[in-house]
Amino acid sequence: MQNLGKRFGDFTALADMDLTIGSGEFVALLGPSGCGKSTTMNMIAGMLDPTHGDISFDGRNMNGVPMAKRGVGFVFQNYAIFTHMTVRDNLAYGLKSQRVPRAEITRRVSEIAELLQLTPMLDRRAAGLSVNILQRLAIGRSAVVEPAIFLLDEPLSNVDAAFRAVMRAELKSLQRQFKQTMVYVTHDQLEAMTMADRIAVMDHGKLLQVGTPLDVYNHPADTFVARFIGAPGMNLLRGRVTGADTGLTVDLGAAGHCPLRAGQGGDVLFGFRPEQVHPDPAGPMEMTVTTVERIGARTILHLAAGDHSAKAVLDSETPVPDQGEQFRFAVTPDDVRLFDAATERAL
Amino acid sequence: MTDMTSTHPGAADLHTDTALHEGAEEKRLGLWLTLPAQLLVLFIALFPILMQIYISLTDWSPLDGIPWYRAYELWIGLLNYADLASDPRFWSALWRTCIVMAICVPVQFLLGLGLAILFVDDFRGKRVLYSTILVPMMVVPAVAGYMFFMLFQSGGPVNDILSMFAGRPVTIAWLSDPDLALFATIVSDIWQWTPLMFLILLAGMVSVPQDQQMAAVLLGASWTRRFFTIVLPRMKTIIIIAVAIRVIENFKVFDNFYIMTGGGPGVATETISIYIYKVTQQELIWGYVAAIALAILIVLSIVSALAIKKLRGAQQ
Repeated sequence: MQNLGKRFGDFTALADMDLTIGSGEFVALLGPSGCGKSTTMNMIAGMLDPTHGDISFDGRNMNGVPMAKRGVGFVFQNYAIFTHMTVRDNLAYGLKSQRVPRAEITRRVSEIAELLQLTPMLDRRAAGLSVNILQRLAIGRSAVVEPAIFLLDEPLSNVDAAFRAVMRAELKSLQRQFKQTMVYVTHDQLEAMTMADRIAVMDHGKLLQVGTPLDVYNHPADTFVARFIGAPGMNLLRGRVTGADTGLTVDLGAAGHCPLRAGQGGDVLFGFRPEQVHPDPAGPMEMTVTTVERIGARTILHLAAGDHSAKAVLDSETPVPDQGEQFRFAVTPDDVRLFDAATERAL
Repeated sequence: MTDMTSTHPGAADLHTDTALHEGAEEKRLGLWLTLPAQLLVLFIALFPILMQIYISLTDWSPLDGIPWYRAYELWIGLLNYADLASDPRFWSALWRTCIVMAICVPVQFLLGLGLAILFVDDFRGKRVLYSTILVPMMVVPAVAGYMFFMLFQSGGPVNDILSMFAGRPVTIAWLSDPDLALFATIVSDIWQWTPLMFLILLAGMVSVPQDQQMAAVLLGASWTRRFFTIVLPRMKTIIIIAVAIRVIENFKVFDNFYIMTGGGPGVATETISIYIYKVTQQELIWGYVAAIALAILIVLSIVSALAIKKLRGAQQ
């Protein structure tokens, strides 16, 4: 995708997006509602025409190619299974549409059914199948025509939370099995983190960062990505970097200060993961506990000091102060991420 | 999703015997409380039919000077039905009605479906055209009959237009030629009732899920293939309803036919309703009329039963 953009009237749904997806790669487009991820996907599928920019598959420009001819597999949010047909007819639909010889249809359908463990229910009507079978059927129905790229539009959003983990695992293993290029649209970071090879974080029609899940988690490109990824997201405190005799530190006002490894003087947003808070009675930072949330294996502290607010995630073994008490802690300089106070980009 | 309840068979056991007992008692009280209303409804629904059955077994006529409830004095058993079975005019009227139906319903269906296909997508002027198409349906059938009566006069607009194309005066006697008269009346029915078919079919077509069609497009299906494999099968229920409505309505066709031709020339456009009307008005043998009416009711009940059976099948 080069310089891809889409405007609806005055509204810019997507601005100048550049993204290259490798063959066999699983890329997640991640962002809140209205960030442009569905617009991007619909343009890849050909349901929408880009206002400017190009989409190419394998170097072939796809602008103006009708969606029936693109070779795009699409898994809809609700799977869009043809419930008035049998499982077999669903699987054969694409091949029949492309006038593949009957003997070959029979062969390919039974192959894919075998692969997806759908063989026992081939002659059942698709209505009333359970949701994980529907997912396999939806993938099989698209995969059987051997598409160049697979697009998945939040397929897990209708699945109840307990079952999602199962579905995620299954989807990921299917993707590996098919060695299929997949683009997965989601607003759920857990889905993106667990399944994707690379995550493309989007907001307000802009592609903010592309990288592996750990990359995006550890080195967010800006404060939006920092806040969006992780549960809870990264703490960001306004501060000022000053050089002192003992080295560089960031002055956080009411919350104390923290030594830094590198940086330049000036106003910054001081970022650290809630998981990387180390309780330390002699630590350089101090904040007041406003709420203590105990959620089994972990305890989340809500902290405040002056204008600052932050969260700390500790494992449940760690003794924690009560609400209203002071909490002293330290953050290792390696775990600190600094962002420019004005541009909010990573420093 | 219905499995959810069946996977917990223990849930039903939670209800104690007393709870079940109370449920039954409550049910019985409910029945007693609603019984008067139910009987009233039953009476209103069934009385005319029961009266028809009763009268149809007699030779009663309002001119006989005895009230209807004493019609048993003229008891003739099944004689009316025997007469009906051997009445050629009844059979020809029934046959004609079936022909009218066999032409009108498919034509209305295909025209309605075609229009629905055009109207499912947006285009300029759609709203205005949409309202225009629905106008015939709102015309009083008697008025429609009168309109077509005028259109098909030998000096009427239909012949005028044909003259323009033919380049010489055309004076077809539409309504006094037996075959053409039936054609003209059928045209009026199609004109009036295609919009209803269109309206119902469009509602059905719009409700076909968009993503299913999109999925079919992405799998490379052509428009025709999508239409026959996705759209039409998904419209099955609504098609059965639309066709059943029109079959039943067409069986009862009267107003426009009666006004255009009075059932004539001869009996060339005499449908079953017109036949009943004539027998009632001209011959006043109500026992016989009741027998005809019941025969038709039975035919229509069979049609409805078939439609309902099909509907059940389609919904599974």
